[in-house]
Amino acid sequence: MISLFGTLDMGARSLGVQQEEMTVSGQNLANVNNSAYAEEQLEVSESTPDESSIGDEGTGVQITGITEIRDPFLDTQIQGEASTTGSLTAQQTNLQNAEAYLDEQISSTTSSNTPDSANGLAADLSSMFAAFQGLTTDPSNLSLRTTATNAAQTVATQFTTVSGQLTNIQNGLNTSIKNDVATANQDLTTIASLNQQIVEAQNSGGSAVQLVDQREQTLESLAGVANFTTSAQANGAVNVSIGGITMVSGINVTDGLQAYDPGTGNLMVEDTNSSAPITLTGGSIAGEITARDGALASLQSGLNTLASQLITNVNSIYSTGYDLNGNTGQDFFTGTDASNIAVNSTVLSDPSSFQASSEAGDAGNDSIALSLAKLGNQAIAGLGNQTFSSNYAQTVSDLGTSISTVNDNLSASQAVSQMLTTQRANTSGVSLDGEMTNLIEYQKAYEASAELITTVNEMLQTVVNMKTS
Amino acid sequence: MRVSTNSFTNNFLYEIGNLESQQTTLQSEVGTGLKLTEPEDDPSAMNQVLNLQTEASSTAQYQSNIAQIQTTATTASDALNSLQTLVEQAGEIATEAGNSDTSSTQLSTYAATVGNLISEAMGIANTQDSNNNYIFAGTNTGTAPFTATTDSNGNVTSVTYNGNTSVASSEIASGLTVSAQSPGENNSGSGPGGVFADSRAGADVFAHLIALQQDLTTAAANGNTSADTTAITADHTNLTKDEDNVVTQISTNAVLQSTLETASNVAQQQATTFTSQLSNDTNADLATTLTQLQQTQTAYQASLQSGAMVMQLSLMTFLS
Repeated sequence: MISLFGTLDMGARSLGVQQEEMTVSGQNLANVNNSAYAEEQLEVSESTPDESSIGDEGTGVQITGITEIRDPFLDTQIQGEASTTGSLTAQQTNLQNAEAYLDEQISSTTSSNTPDSANGLAADLSSMFAAFQGLTTDPSNLSLRTTATNAAQTVATQFTTVSGQLTNIQNGLNTSIKNDVATANQDLTTIASLNQQIVEAQNSGGSAVQLVDQREQTLESLAGVANFTTSAQANGAVNVSIGGITMVSGINVTDGLQAYDPGTGNLMVEDTNSSAPITLTGGSIAGEITARDGALASLQSGLNTLASQLITNVNSIYSTGYDLNGNTGQDFFTGTDASNIAVNSTVLSDPSSFQASSEAGDAGNDSIALSLAKLGNQAIAGLGNQTFSSNYAQTVSDLGTSISTVNDNLSASQAVSQMLTTQRANTSGVSLDGEMTNLIEYQKAYEASAELITTVNEMLQTVVNMKTS
Repeated sequence: MRVSTNSFTNNFLYEIGNLESQQTTLQSEVGTGLKLTEPEDDPSAMNQVLNLQTEASSTAQYQSNIAQIQTTATTASDALNSLQTLVEQAGEIATEAGNSDTSSTQLSTYAATVGNLISEAMGIANTQDSNNNYIFAGTNTGTAPFTATTDSNGNVTSVTYNGNTSVASSEIASGLTVSAQSPGENNSGSGPGGVFADSRAGADVFAHLIALQQDLTTAAANGNTSADTTAITADHTNLTKDEDNVVTQISTNAVLQSTLETASNVAQQQATTFTSQLSNDTNADLATTLTQLQQTQTAYQASLQSGAMVMQLSLMTFLS
């Protein structure tokens, strides 16, 4: 039979356990808004009973550990979706930048009151061919010649400006890839170091729940940059592989990512140890590479083809013409593609050198100007039998389609993330109402245990008083 | 089902975020009156808009070309009508002078009148349009197309043509080119008809006027012999060919003007069609958009109200 002191002891242990329950509840309440936090629970069990002649006598309660409620499957899914969202966000941002630089925004602020896109290359090309048309009505007119060359110069400037800005975006993407690689390596180091602390904590019998929360947060941050697979180890560590190559094994960082130039000037990603190229399918690095080598590259090449076809076709007509001074053979456009197209400086500075006539010394002859004007409506073989304007419109709408696809996928991915986060919050998150109820329970239990101690104390008092009375 | 405190606020924020973004989109549609502003909004509509815009710009340029050519065509028409009157007058003189009764004095007066007509014809031949281009010079528009040689008495003895036989044309609709210019002289037997001289019509206004003047002068000096009468009658026959040629030119000009008129009307109609198509592709349907905005606002308000109510409630409210 347990002595009164034994019962007193049991009451004291119970007080301690209730107090610890309060502490865990307090910790849960404090982290109610921490999305990476998983609700903690105090694991308690009945302490080892004393065997006696009347059977096993209870000795109260003991703490067996602090655990957290985590669903590893949900965590993996959330990491995967974070990679998808990261990739799409990187694509969206950069493609929308390119869209803004194209300057094909519809507005209705122009005098005509008809909504149109007045600032981009579409309007510039139309103005140029219209100016060639206008020149045919009075081919020797110097001001019409100036209008035509200026309109062409506007087209050339728009080409080079947009081309330069697209190159800037691509350079920016290469820098982002470098930065993201550094972030990923940093995260891998953090994960390995957290693995080490978790393994140590568990070996010494301690609780590692806060460390696991931190590691989960780091894994989710890494997922936003590069997609990976994990495998949980028995000792509590998590191994991380990117592109099939193990980067974190237990407590060690075994490999890392590095950006390399495959000779194109556009950075790709490989592993540090064996320089094996890694194809990422998610995370911002993958998004940056997809945007750069996909929609942006085809936009850039579309503009280059358009510019080079414009240069070739205009020059082949123009160079056979004669200017007002009887000179011939000059090119109208210089340069080879969108990055360097420009109007020949001679004709820019001297409109009389515009070769509009097909006969030397024939000021009123507009054959060349008319051929240039008609070029605007001609199907160009080098542009898949589209006109210059319709080819450009196609390029713009292709970019629009790319962005609109990314937009749709991104909002789907965000919805999935939201759903998964809600599921995890409902499983692992803290419920204020639940914790409040727990607090009352623990408080009542604490009061009851205290009552037990008071009662045992009074009984002990009675025992002591038995001798004096 | 267990619902954690965090998941409620997360969902709440996600939902009102969606409503807010929907509201912003609709509000901006109402504000700008446009449902399409960026290529990503509707790529295929954007494609169509850019193509329509190009068409509209071409059409506007065609209209401007038409207006320019119309001005020149009107100038040419006036000049041609004056020329016809002039040739007709010369023909009447030849008819009257080709009569054996005509006195020498009268013949001298006729000769002087024809001399004036030649000067007048020179003026018409060197007509310039509003851009100071000579309209009867072919494409050699910068040089006066006709220069006259005079004798010691100031009479024109010959007229030289400095222009050429080609004309510059402009597009007034896709693939349709016209020209308001005419060569002053075309004796090549092909190409656009010459106004003053054309070998196909046997026309040569200046040569025939000069011949008439010289024949009249000779007749006045000779006392109007039968040979003179024959020569003057022959001049009359030639002038009739000239007049026929000018009439042909006038009717060509009339056809051109009516072509321009038609093209102008077509361009006008096209411009209207492009405008309404552009508007269909880009303008928001205000009634629908406003209704949608109203719906979204109602949902937003309801969401905020219910969210605020639910968030305030927790077990703590009732524990004391």
